Amino acid sequence: MAKLTRRGFIGQTTASVATIGVLAAVPTLAAAPEMTDVAASDTSAAELSATTFSESVVAHVSDLASGEITIMSGTKEIILRDTDLVMRLLKAVR
Amino acid sequence: MSSHREAPEISKDPVADSTDLYAFVSPDNPDMVTIIANYVPLEEPAGGPNFYEFGDDVLYEIHIINGTDVQHEISYQFRFQTQTRNPKSFLYNTGQITSIDSANWNRPQFYSVSRVDEHGQSTVLASGLACPPCNIGPRSTPNYQTLAEQALFKLPGGGRVFAGQRAEGFYVDLGSIFDLGTLRPFQNLQIIPTPAQPGVNGTEGYNVHSIAIEVPKNLLTKDGSNPTDPANPNSVIGVYTTASRRKASVLQGNGQDVEAGPWVQVSRLGEPLINEVIIPLGQKDFWNSQDPQGDSQFASFYAHPELAALLPVLYPGVFPNLAAYTKARADLEAILLTGIPAGIIKGFQNFTGTIQADLVRLNMAIPPSANPSLLGLLGGDLAGFPNGRRVFDDIVAVELRAIAGVTIPLVDPSFKPDAAAGEINDFIPVQIPKGVRYQKQFPYLGEPFDGYDSRPHQE
Repeated sequence: MAKLTRRGFIGQTTASVATIGVLAAVPTLAAAPEMTDVAASDTSAAELSATTFSESVVAHVSDLASGEITIMSGTKEIILRDTDLVMRLLKAVR
Repeated sequence: MSSHREAPEISKDPVADSTDLYAFVSPDNPDMVTIIANYVPLEEPAGGPNFYEFGDDVLYEIHIINGTDVQHEISYQFRFQTQTRNPKSFLYNTGQITSIDSANWNRPQFYSVSRVDEHGQSTVLASGLACPPCNIGPRSTPNYQTLAEQALFKLPGGGRVFAGQRAEGFYVDLGSIFDLGTLRPFQNLQIIPTPAQPGVNGTEGYNVHSIAIEVPKNLLTKDGSNPTDPANPNSVIGVYTTASRRKASVLQGNGQDVEAGPWVQVSRLGEPLINEVIIPLGQKDFWNSQDPQGDSQFASFYAHPELAALLPVLYPGVFPNLAAYTKARADLEAILLTGIPAGIIKGFQNFTGTIQADLVRLNMAIPPSANPSLLGLLGGDLAGFPNGRRVFDDIVAVELRAIAGVTIPLVDPSFKPDAAAGEINDFIPVQIPKGVRYQKQFPYLGEPFDGYDSRPHQE
């Protein structure tokens, strides 16, 4: 039997419906904490603006070199890799 | 202290700082086990106007493993929610609080209790339960005992729960021990000698916030039985508590925070004094973030504890046998990381298997003692520490003596402990210091000191 960790329990028991909605609205994000490579956004601004987010979304550029971004909403955490987005973010703060 | 302010980061986050964990067979209800997890260290009773509370943004948990299956846990989760009834007043209470639902209490706090079983299935046991207010003084909280009794709630399936302020039950000569390891009764023998003095209780007159839960034993065993055989591995449970915060917090500049992400463990506690004394400074915050099931990574600190090496230096000539002992401390590793196997102490075991984990281990088949010894197992009392931990157990004496070598013969009969090893403590004779409060009924920790009357360190 696979090891059940306490953190696994917490994740299973506290994930919210609202969070799942957020994830579903961004099809390029994997609904699992593993790394996901994203070449370019295939979601339009109109689609995003039409989506209702009931949870706050916090994004953290966790590794500039690899373009790794950690996205948190509800009790979910998604890690994706998008070097283009990271480059645009860097330009914005320059 | 036991685990008060024991690591650099958590010392800055009191509401998430676990201070003590107790687990024992309820003396007045031996079919039940009581577990108490204390948070918010060193509450000065007069610390208003914003008196002490649990953190609404903290996930508090008590975890329980059964038998030798250390990997599968039962968890009780506690989430708090605080209200401000009158945001236009600066007052904690706008009049006398004579009942727990008094409109005069301006900052009532409520909580929910959930049980997560070993398969990860979560059940909300109760919600909207009220904490009692802090003990303010004779005008504000004139009958505190009534308020506390109103905050005792029965749980479905049996047992009770309480969450709120209590008197600190842990006692230690704090000012002494952290002044280069001085023990006042023996400081004439210290490397910087001064005349011997009686010990001083450093936690005297302070309060804490307690989460206390009483659970029927048969809800803690795998087969639903009420354990009666001390030799049966399933009679043993291992307990620890954790506090977790959300991974991301953004300050918006308007007094409101945005929080997001998974829960991240920031504090944990099993046996007392582990992160305090065994784990070195550079590892303490990391230790707090880890699951106990991974504690083999810290085993070397148990095998060669820094304090065991310091005692012969701080007390020259007093611990020659300890100074000469260079083997790994298999006694401490067994007592603190796996539990004591059968065959070491007659009629007793609290072994949870070979996976090393910091847990308070309780053999639930050992009945409460009619004449408890503050020294627990060292005092011949099988119902006391480190078989679980009762609120009054003198865990400082037991652990100091164990580290000084009195438990080495359990695993290495060739070792003869130094004469002083069986005597050291910060209070001589071993005794509960004056002013420490307990009560005979759940939740066993005494009524909190009130802000008006209390004089910490002058009780």
